[in-house]
Amino acid sequence: MSLRAKSLKPFALIAPAVLLLGVFLVLPYINIVVMSLRNPGSGTPYAPGFTLSNYLRLFADSFYLEQTANTLVIGFITTFVCLVLGFPVAWQLAKTQMRFRGLAYGLVLSPLLVGIVIRSYGWTILLGNNGMINRTLIGFGLIDRPLALMYNSLGIVIALVHVFLPFMILPLMSALQGIDPSIEAAARSLGAGRITAFRRIVLPLAMPGIQAGCILVFVLSLSAYVTPSLIGGLRVKTMAVSVVDALIDTFQWPFGSAIALMLSLTGAMVVMLFARLTRMKWKAN
Amino acid sequence: MARHLLTGYCLLIYAFLLLPILVVVGASFNAGAFLTFPPQGLSFRWYVVFFHNEVFLNAIKTSLWVAAVSTVISSIIGTMAAIFYVQHAGRWKESIRLAMLLPLLLPEVLTAISLLFFVYSIGMGTRTIAAMIIGHCLITLPFVFINVSAAMESYEPSWSLAAKSLGAGPLTRFRRIMLPLIKPGVIGGCLFAFIISFDTFTISFMLKNVGTATLPIQLYDYLRTNFTPEAAAVSTVSIVLTLFIVVLSEKVLGLRIHRF
Repeated sequence: MSLRAKSLKPFALIAPAVLLLGVFLVLPYINIVVMSLRNPGSGTPYAPGFTLSNYLRLFADSFYLEQTANTLVIGFITTFVCLVLGFPVAWQLAKTQMRFRGLAYGLVLSPLLVGIVIRSYGWTILLGNNGMINRTLIGFGLIDRPLALMYNSLGIVIALVHVFLPFMILPLMSALQGIDPSIEAAARSLGAGRITAFRRIVLPLAMPGIQAGCILVFVLSLSAYVTPSLIGGLRVKTMAVSVVDALIDTFQWPFGSAIALMLSLTGAMVVMLFARLTRMKWKAN
Repeated sequence: MARHLLTGYCLLIYAFLLLPILVVVGASFNAGAFLTFPPQGLSFRWYVVFFHNEVFLNAIKTSLWVAAVSTVISSIIGTMAAIFYVQHAGRWKESIRLAMLLPLLLPEVLTAISLLFFVYSIGMGTRTIAAMIIGHCLITLPFVFINVSAAMESYEPSWSLAAKSLGAGPLTRFRRIMLPLIKPGVIGGCLFAFIISFDTFTISFMLKNVGTATLPIQLYDYLRTNFTPEAAAVSTVSIVLTLFIVVLSEKVLGLRIHRF
């Protein structure tokens, strides 16, 4: 074997992956950017020629601006609620020696084994006007009329929190596990109270996990389709639902591409802003 | 005191995580024609309805088939890439890791739409199931890569070298030395890939065609217009199938899933 052939051989290992990602991920992404600049067609998905009108239409239409704002708000609230709900659970999994730790870990992971359609379906059974929660509350005489839990942003947030909570708990848990308990003990021995030690020592050290969890949940909830579609119904639509509608129901490929790209860009900008802000803040302390 | 409070709180969260799943399973045994609570008696009638419904049975077959094929493809490609990443990547290591995780980092809905337009623009279309399998390979690849590269990190290159000095060719070295040692990672990756593919929605939804609907798609279509407990029976069967696969790979193949 010549020296040249020998040094090239390892590249054969990575070649199929490069080919798959290059042809079926990178090229399609270039293609969709081009698509978003095409002229809308009538009868066909798109017409020849290029234009910026798809983006202009997006910014001119208050319906879409409102929807973008609504989608972002749902993403923020979902992320925040996941963080607040998930932190104590991650703490317990990471820090305490309990007998059923394996079981608890399995319970956190188990929802991930069940498809997102089924989990959202479970929430429609629970949250509907005739659903379990409303019937139970009426049965106990606590309310007279059913609470509006479904077909609104509240229902979407409840279901999204459920769907993405494991993605918050797991990174938080691994970050908390990595913190040496003696550092906190040292802070306490130097006179820091429980809360001060948590705020000044644990929180900054757990920051990478908090960041990872928040970014993951935020991005996932922006692009979630099934949950908002089943829980929100026709009344509340998030951006991802509008995008798919524009493509599948009305075949507006260039416009649909423009919405999809704007949604992703907005999400990416929020994520970068968040990463920068949190890092700066903890450095300053 | 504080400890008990924390335990109680965590139990509440675990209940919250399990609640919708248990509700679906419970609803599938409802004897009534609609999803009511409390249920109108126990019955298996919706399972009988489901086992006579060609549409759902075909969807399950399609799902299993697509998941099996894309798991095989992405586990081969992903394992090769993970070996390269750990042993040969050198200064390209970080870039390769990022590239392999890309399908996971990009929003799935955007990837799905991009792929839909792309398969149409190259004339492939969605008539065959090929487009859907490619999509499933893309989104399952990162999971194989994460699991196998984690297993590869503890593999000593000198083991391959020792086998080589004893006269083993490259294929023998892989089959007899490396594969048995990284097996847990490979199986974990395959399991993840299979389950992700079996449950994924957005990619399949954009790339489906008449006759190639997977189970999640069929279920979603059904749920938009129907409210009978049949959907709950279908969901329960799907949950049991997934559990069965997990337990099988744990007991038979001796799996250790790589933890986050």
